[in-house]
Amino acid sequence: MSNFTELTQAFINLDEEKVYGLVQKKIAAGEDPVGIIKECNEGMTEIGKLFEQNEYFLSELIMSGEIFKSIMAKLEPMLGDVQQENEPSKGTVVIGTVKEDIHDIGKDIVVSMLRGTGYEVVDLGVDVPADKFVAAAKETGAKLVGLSCLLNFTFPELKKVVDELDAAGLRDTVKVAIGGAPCNEEVRKFAGADYYAKDAAAAVSICKEIYQ
Amino acid sequence: MPEETRKLYEERLKRYQAAIALAVPDRIPISAGSNYFAEVYAGHTNQEFIYNSNAWSEADARFVHDFPEVDAFRSGRFWGPAHDAVGFNLYKLPGRDLPPRTQFQFVEGERMKADEYHLLINNPVEFLFERYLPRAFSDFQEPGSIRSFMALIKGSTASAMLGGLMKARSQYMQTELGMPQSMGGVFLAPFDYLADGLRGLRGIMLDVRRQPDKVLEACEALIPDIVNAALAIADPLRRYPIFVPLHRGAYPFLAPKQFDEFYWPSLKKVMTMLIDAGYTIRAYLEGNWGPNWHHFRELPKGKVLCDIDIQGNIFKAKEELGGYQCIAGGVPDSTLILGTPDEVRERVKLLCETVGKDGGFIINGGCGIPYDSKPENFRAMINATLEYGRYSDTTKFELQINPNQPAGWQPPKRRIVTPWEVKRKELGGVMGDEEIIKQHWEMFEHMAFNWIFSWLW
Repeated sequence: MSNFTELTQAFINLDEEKVYGLVQKKIAAGEDPVGIIKECNEGMTEIGKLFEQNEYFLSELIMSGEIFKSIMAKLEPMLGDVQQENEPSKGTVVIGTVKEDIHDIGKDIVVSMLRGTGYEVVDLGVDVPADKFVAAAKETGAKLVGLSCLLNFTFPELKKVVDELDAAGLRDTVKVAIGGAPCNEEVRKFAGADYYAKDAAAAVSICKEIYQ
Repeated sequence: MPEETRKLYEERLKRYQAAIALAVPDRIPISAGSNYFAEVYAGHTNQEFIYNSNAWSEADARFVHDFPEVDAFRSGRFWGPAHDAVGFNLYKLPGRDLPPRTQFQFVEGERMKADEYHLLINNPVEFLFERYLPRAFSDFQEPGSIRSFMALIKGSTASAMLGGLMKARSQYMQTELGMPQSMGGVFLAPFDYLADGLRGLRGIMLDVRRQPDKVLEACEALIPDIVNAALAIADPLRRYPIFVPLHRGAYPFLAPKQFDEFYWPSLKKVMTMLIDAGYTIRAYLEGNWGPNWHHFRELPKGKVLCDIDIQGNIFKAKEELGGYQCIAGGVPDSTLILGTPDEVRERVKLLCETVGKDGGFIINGGCGIPYDSKPENFRAMINATLEYGRYSDTTKFELQINPNQPAGWQPPKRRIVTPWEVKRKELGGVMGDEEIIKQHWEMFEHMAFNWIFSWLW
């Protein structure tokens, strides 16, 4: 049996009214906002797990983000100078949708899953040219660059990013993973990438492998 | 048309129709719904194809000339000038917002607010004019302005022109090239109207949790308009299937339970009504439909051609849909783009020997043929189908050409904004044959509504 707090459990159940009610009660009782956030964070982590296990789907993931945002909007002004004690990051990942492709749904899921499992994610957004990936990898020292795409005309662009990382002398230290609907092993080989992530859960496993 | 062309046309169409109907044709047909490759094969950029309608017949002729073994095809859905006439903002277009050699792309957005369901459900005309169009047309941001009036006039003129161009194109393909269309007319699943153009993916995902009843009510309410809009542009001779690209029903956008509750019931009703009207349907199961495609067994056999995308397992699809509906697909897009002719040939051989074995199969990429397919790979796909996909010498199947609606069939109630009765009262009655005046009044009312409805995605 799980031993989540009442708030965490309500959050996992995505019971909006109950979550907001409990948060309100805690605020009124003068509880530390950092603690409240921590309880919600635990809910987010559990929801990520449920998503990986196909218990939860996209609507639950989006809903949890929405609830979390509302709570943060309420609590953030109360935080003042209090430093949130962040758990140390497990590692840094640079991620983006490649040039000329503007799709972000899949990428955003991966970003939220990686953040939820403790990685620091540098999200470059969509339509990202190869040199931006290279610059970000250099700047952050990330050991993994994740390339997302939805459209199959982007295969040469995937390869271009890998080639430019190579040209910048980063290929020994930076691994490349690709993901998105048109990707598969054949595309990975063509692009010269190290990994093909078939879904968000696979992306998390790849990070675990690299940053173990 | 010359006898030879007519024969060719009929042979191709018969082969295509037979496969859809689960009869066994002389060989496995070759047909993509969206043949993107055919748009650029003759050397046009994506922009040229989307903006210059003169490029269409040129591209069609060149493609059919070089690949005469194809049995039915259609390419191009967009005409950029029509989008620009109203400032339609649901798509980025090559040459306009994207480099000329890239693919058009859908722009996610919330063009209906979470609290507007009742407006859409109870008074769609008002909702569309007052809420949706100002958000979807950049030239209609201020309804009532000169620019907004111009947008409606320009937009409807453009659509009428496009209708004429598409008709001429289909006629040219038939009489000059002997080539059938792989589909005619289009609709979306009710849920996708909400999830694509109206609420957007993010909005709909919240709605299915926060206001599920409203989502269901809206899906139901959309059904009659969807059916009428689809029939308005479907092939009047019922030769070609009506096209339905299915978007958010793919796994895992929705959990299978959500699919059963929100996506399928209203979609099934729409498809049933179109089948009852004497049509077949070509459904693009975009993405992975593995957990959901078994539902297509609930529809009349041999009426819905299911395109299986590369994320779905076509061998499994055959197991689950074989004997119920024809399936198309099987050649991975990545192999057409990156692979070799030998690899394509091996794949097609395998498909012919397994999923194609007893009919009910059409060779295709995953839902379409990609822009960047290597011509030698497309050629290899065709050659291998001719080599391994033969069943017999002739197609024993009666060609289906039918201008008449089935006896007793009635379309759902057509939407009229200003009823004839109101108009007649204003006129103070009419002096001659009322019926002919009324008919045309209602026809334009209906067409005008369909026109607005057509901009929902």
